[in-house]
Amino acid sequence: MLYVKELYKSYETGKNKYEVLKGIDFHVPQGEFVAVMGPSGSGKTTLLNCISCYIPFDKGNIRLGGMELAGMNEEELARVRNTKIGFVFQDFMLLDGLTIRENILVPRIVQEEVGQEAEKLADQLAAMFGIVHILNKYPAEISGGEKQRAAVARSLINNPLIILADEPTGNLDSKSSRAVIETFIHAKQKMNATIFMVTHDSFSASFCDRVILLKDGSIYRQLEKQEERSVFQDRLLDAIKEMSE
Amino acid sequence: MGTMTNMKQMEQKLQKADRKQSRLYLFCNFMALMIISAYSALMLSPTVQKVFPKGGDSAKQMYMIFVMTLVGCVVFTIYALGLFFRHKSGQLGVLMALGASRRRLAPGLYQEVIFLSGVSAIAGTAAGFPFVQVIWQSFRLFLVDSSDMVLMFDFRCLFVSLLFLLFVVGFACLTAWRYLKKTNIMEVIREEHINEPVKELGRWCGPVGVLVLLAGAVMGYQAPSAWHVWFSAYPPAWAGVFYAPVFPGLYMVMLHTVVHGWKSHRKNPYKNIISRSMMKFQGRQTVNNMLVITLLVAGGCFAIFYVPTNAISSLIHYASQPFDYFYNYQADQKVPDREEVEALGREYGLSFKDWKACGYVTLGIGGDAMIEEEDGRSYHIEYVEMKSEATVLSEDAYRELTGQEVDVEPGTYFNLTNEEETALFTNESAREFTNMVTRTKLATQFAGYLYFDLLVDVDRDCCVLDNEDYALISGGLTDDWRGQFVRFNVDGEDSYPFANAFYHRFVSSFDASCERPSYYDRVQKIRENEEGKVYWGDTDDMTTISYDMSDSFMFRTFWVYQPDFRILNQNDYARNMGVMFMMFLFIFLVCMITAMVVCYTRCQSIAINNRYIFDDLKKLGASPAFLDREVRSQCGSVFKVPSLVGTSAMFLLFTMILYANDGRIIGAEWAAMGVCLCITVAIGGVIYAVYRSAVKVIKGQLGIIYVRK
Repeated sequence: MLYVKELYKSYETGKNKYEVLKGIDFHVPQGEFVAVMGPSGSGKTTLLNCISCYIPFDKGNIRLGGMELAGMNEEELARVRNTKIGFVFQDFMLLDGLTIRENILVPRIVQEEVGQEAEKLADQLAAMFGIVHILNKYPAEISGGEKQRAAVARSLINNPLIILADEPTGNLDSKSSRAVIETFIHAKQKMNATIFMVTHDSFSASFCDRVILLKDGSIYRQLEKQEERSVFQDRLLDAIKEMSE
Repeated sequence: MGTMTNMKQMEQKLQKADRKQSRLYLFCNFMALMIISAYSALMLSPTVQKVFPKGGDSAKQMYMIFVMTLVGCVVFTIYALGLFFRHKSGQLGVLMALGASRRRLAPGLYQEVIFLSGVSAIAGTAAGFPFVQVIWQSFRLFLVDSSDMVLMFDFRCLFVSLLFLLFVVGFACLTAWRYLKKTNIMEVIREEHINEPVKELGRWCGPVGVLVLLAGAVMGYQAPSAWHVWFSAYPPAWAGVFYAPVFPGLYMVMLHTVVHGWKSHRKNPYKNIISRSMMKFQGRQTVNNMLVITLLVAGGCFAIFYVPTNAISSLIHYASQPFDYFYNYQADQKVPDREEVEALGREYGLSFKDWKACGYVTLGIGGDAMIEEEDGRSYHIEYVEMKSEATVLSEDAYRELTGQEVDVEPGTYFNLTNEEETALFTNESAREFTNMVTRTKLATQFAGYLYFDLLVDVDRDCCVLDNEDYALISGGLTDDWRGQFVRFNVDGEDSYPFANAFYHRFVSSFDASCERPSYYDRVQKIRENEEGKVYWGDTDDMTTISYDMSDSFMFRTFWVYQPDFRILNQNDYARNMGVMFMMFLFIFLVCMITAMVVCYTRCQSIAINNRYIFDDLKKLGASPAFLDREVRSQCGSVFKVPSLVGTSAMFLLFTMILYANDGRIIGAEWAAMGVCLCITVAIGGVIYAVYRSAVKVIKGQLGIIYVRK
């Protein structure tokens, strides 16, 4: 479903060039919940931003649902972002001037395809994630956990091929973090959603089917969950410790 | 449920929610356009144009401050636009991230910025006219009024506003285009949170900045004189670039203020560390804003200092003149004689004493002249016979008129100057006088100076000759080259109505041959006509004055026979100079209003940008007193340093100008400087009041409740 092949990305600051991604290769099949972990500066967020077409990459291939992203023009990339990708930001990025219902519907509004069916779907998603009671409120009036669940609902409104999440629990307390992770699991189970999440949090990552460890712009190791969540979390922590030695 | 279904509806709702940001942008644009529109309307109005001589220093100063204000408004509007887009970018970025293509976003964004910038710019331009009317009419109502002060507009001034309006709208569209063009969506999303740190320099940058600033000021001021001396040429228009070091100097001073502050922190290096770092991270905009504020405060002070420095020396001059009435006239004019004047005086209950009338002649005088080369820029000094007109008295006439003893050797002349010796262009190089009727010449040489202020005329020499020389050279002169000086005092208290009535009768007794300004030089005209040239005074460049406007600024300042009636000059001074003084007062108001608006807006953005830091500090247990100090520390830097630098720089500049006039500072100038100092203190008081109000508002916005004891 998502193929990333030989992906390179660098940044230039003045005369210095920093290689951030150095030939990343991996594949995420439909319905898998994958986490990417790694120390700060390892390239996690850059990888996510390249996949989501937010920043251009230097070299390599990204194929999403059979479509090559490299070489697409601006309009085509916007369409991919709108219909094939759902994105969840660390700081929610809800639009302050819109209600939660309207925020969930924004990807449909961009398509100008808001009808009763879209509204019904928004209500269903809200019900699924336990935010029906805040649908008519504004972002400033709700908690961080509720904002993030609203953001997850927004990411699913167009039934995308993949949800990309950048540290979705980074700004939340443990209770809200768990609620957000449960919304992902719910989406995966009920809608067969594919989720690709960048996180620092081994607890959140331990809910995933697979964890990709990044170090210095390359894949250091990939861990598949075959055991209980808590045991997997311990294995993850060991691997992270080993990576940092 | 009424859910929105399309982009347009969504954009409208988002715009409604962003009212606060839009209002700030609208306000900033409106203010900038109103100020530019008002300034250009007044500056280009016929009322002001006829009072400010073309190419004169006052006009140049007026245009120079306009350019400074324009630059200030440009920086201010760019800053306001930046604030608006910083907020807008988060929204744009999210919509892009959620799949809105730039093509979808462009129409709504352009529509919004064109609407906001266009409406505010048009409203500001329109508001400029009532704004200037209200201020001008208030001046007329409460300060001074004269026939000169009837405000008329030349609507060509709209061209300036239109250019600025196009700039505002064009720049807004360009910025929108730049945002839409960005390929990195994350950059657009994060724009709102991106800091603008300044490149830090060491602690040396402040003191070095002060030196560079002073060096620029001295270089710029001295450059024209140096150019004259070194190249024997008029300084080119670009000679102003010698002032250029002032700007990097100012930048370094402001940078030092933002990055290090001026207080030594050796004893307590952590004091103000938080406020200093907050300022550093928004340093680029802060430094730019502080530069603009400094320039505007300096411009305002320059304008307001102009009034006392000009007024006080004149008023002291009037008060110290030895006679109540002193005037001269051409001998062929039917000016009221002593009997008529005394009869008029009796009508007002006045009697006169010390009456004295003495004859004089107008001769051609030779001298060193600056002869322009063909390029019109460089020149050489050359002796010219019949260089210009000179008013010439015999030693007896001089003695009678002034009461001063004088002994002039035959074949020599004394030139008149004022007691301060500040009169410019006095001729020490004459070798002969010429009778302009008979063309007889009298060889002569400079013998020295005599001092009598009332005889000093900036446009012509006044010389005293030996009695026999005088008789010799004046023989055969017709009455249009002869004249009378008259002086008398009032026995008792003088009367303004008499002076006014006498003045109007005096003016009305002259015929059209005398309807000319004092710098119309008949000798120069004859010489140039004889050389086959057209005298510049006979071209359209010459100022025209009219007896019909005998109370106007132009007439009373430039008429060749304008009399010195002490009580008339004293009472009418403010009225005569009204337009000029009120224009400078207006410039002062405009500059200070703009500076205070920029200060206030900058402080507002400190509150907006640092809100989360203040929240964190509260969570970390910072007391209200600490938070209060942090707010005051930042706002203080924005208000205090530019105000201090702007006012001090102008005070020093004026001191330098007064000193450079004659290499010393005389009594009237000390008095003027004292008044300027009082004005500076008053300006400081107003700025402090605005600062206090800004701090109060910002503390309210940040939820800091603390009242200093």
